[in-house]
Amino acid sequence: MRLPGTRYQEPGWEQVRKLLGQCSLDVFSRCDLDALFAQDDAAAAYVDLLAASLHAASRGARAQAAGNSYGDSVVELALLLVYELAARPGDFDALRTALTPAAARGEALLRKKVNDMFALLRDKVDADNYQAACGRPCSPNRIYAYRMLDTAYGEIGRLFAGWREHRAQVGAILGRALDSALPIEVRQLDSIGGCRPEWILRWSETLERFTGSPGPLHTRSKRFDSLKGNADKIGEMLGEIGEYEALSANRDRDWLQDLDTSAAWIEDYWRVLDESNAASTPGPDLILEALQDELDGADAPAAAAATGADDPLAILRAQSVSLPPGFVLAAGAAEEPGSWSARMLAGDTLAVRLAVYARLLGLDDDSYPDAWRDPATGQLPTMAQLAALDAVSLPTLRKRRDAAIARLEAATSNGRSE
Amino acid sequence: MNTIDRKLRERLLVAPRVEGDRLMLGDAVLLAALDGSRALTAGERVALQGSPLTTRRLRTLALARRQAANDAWQGSRGMLRAADSGARLTQLATDDGFWRLHFVDSGGARRVILQLLPDAPFAARLLREGALLHVLDGAGAQVLAGRLDLDGECECDWPFGDDPAVHFQRHGAAFTVQMGS
Repeated sequence: MRLPGTRYQEPGWEQVRKLLGQCSLDVFSRCDLDALFAQDDAAAAYVDLLAASLHAASRGARAQAAGNSYGDSVVELALLLVYELAARPGDFDALRTALTPAAARGEALLRKKVNDMFALLRDKVDADNYQAACGRPCSPNRIYAYRMLDTAYGEIGRLFAGWREHRAQVGAILGRALDSALPIEVRQLDSIGGCRPEWILRWSETLERFTGSPGPLHTRSKRFDSLKGNADKIGEMLGEIGEYEALSANRDRDWLQDLDTSAAWIEDYWRVLDESNAASTPGPDLILEALQDELDGADAPAAAAATGADDPLAILRAQSVSLPPGFVLAAGAAEEPGSWSARMLAGDTLAVRLAVYARLLGLDDDSYPDAWRDPATGQLPTMAQLAALDAVSLPTLRKRRDAAIARLEAATSNGRSE
Repeated sequence: MNTIDRKLRERLLVAPRVEGDRLMLGDAVLLAALDGSRALTAGERVALQGSPLTTRRLRTLALARRQAANDAWQGSRGMLRAADSGARLTQLATDDGFWRLHFVDSGGARRVILQLLPDAPFAARLLREGALLHVLDGAGAQVLAGRLDLDGECECDWPFGDDPAVHFQRHGAAFTVQMGS
């Protein structure tokens, strides 16, 4: 299924999920989970370790496979999701809580909990992506509902294709008894936009009769309450999926790529702020109301984090490869002292600056000079290497990095700077 | 701004996540702020700055506006100025400032070079599409036709007998750059 802006709703998601599970288990097997979870920046530590593990796995066949039809690979989608996790500590806290009883540590269970976390996260991320792409409010639950309808359509299509074997069930979906002639609806159904909402309702209603388990619109769960018996709303959502599928199949892909990479809009953003500052437009403020649609009801906030201290990652750091002698000098010389970022980060060490770049732009970006790269990997040094460079612990480096990023964020959102 | 700074600033604006973030401003308000017809109120400005999601929506709208301006380009027009007619003519510019025509002598042969300036909003598209471009003089005769190279230039022999200054003076004192077909 494709919707405006979404990245994680196509079949490639299965591989993204598996790669995240595989790399999470790799991380868990290499560190002391209790000590990891006890840190006060456990989420950041987990994110860094998981990102490193994903990088290490990034050349594998699974990692390189297409994760969606927009050209994102499985490992790219996995990394993006991991960085989203870093910005949403509540999601990680839920995982930590779920794994805190030491009994909950079997491999299968670990995998399942990680799966659950990322499955929720992908719908949050895509709900945001959808809103940014089309300007209409959307919740993770609405994304889930779109997917349920898309799956239902796929299921109905499958039954239609084998209508002779499933005559009774297809008849129940169409709402009439079938004789031996090919039903016209079966012949005509060729896209989700042509799927009638009544079929979805009847399919769900009669699913228990044909399969033994109730359909998604006929369970006791309140999740789809606003769709139950609501053919208009279902029809609207089916139509939207169908419309975008047709559009995105024809759309010039390069155009979408350009949208993603062009930073020219920042000038527009600053101009909007400047003009607002200068104009003192009279009120009232035209701020949108929070949406009341049941499907978009707010998610329950996750529990607050426990705190603790200690560094379970000493072993990992000891294993880190040392950088070539002279790295600091060469890398420092390759910086542009007059640039905005260099000035903003002038009070930080080189290691912190590189950690900031790595977090924001990734370990490998074509804008990095060669002198910043570890010759062994061709990428920026890892967090462990950078921490060793400053002779500080990883959590300390992380704190300094995050403080520097917060400073940059504040400067950037306040508008054009000197 | 260098490339790293540009990329960093974009990440810094769109990467933050705020728990419970939602679209705070409607498209009408954002579009009016972008086209300058109604600046944001102080309250709206604070709402925008506090909502990465709304900032991302602004980004989508701003890029779409730029894209539309880009798609709308059909041609640019330039004139021979009075000052161009005296000394040897070495270059002409279009009124929108996005194109230059250079006239050079190389080994006795006169060449004409069409140059697209990189800050033109449609530069990326024309380069990517390898669009066929025509330069016509004020009387509609073809001065140059071809596709831009990776530097945004296209070069050929000067096709007329007269010097560029004389030629343009006799043929409408103007020129156009347009998409070919």
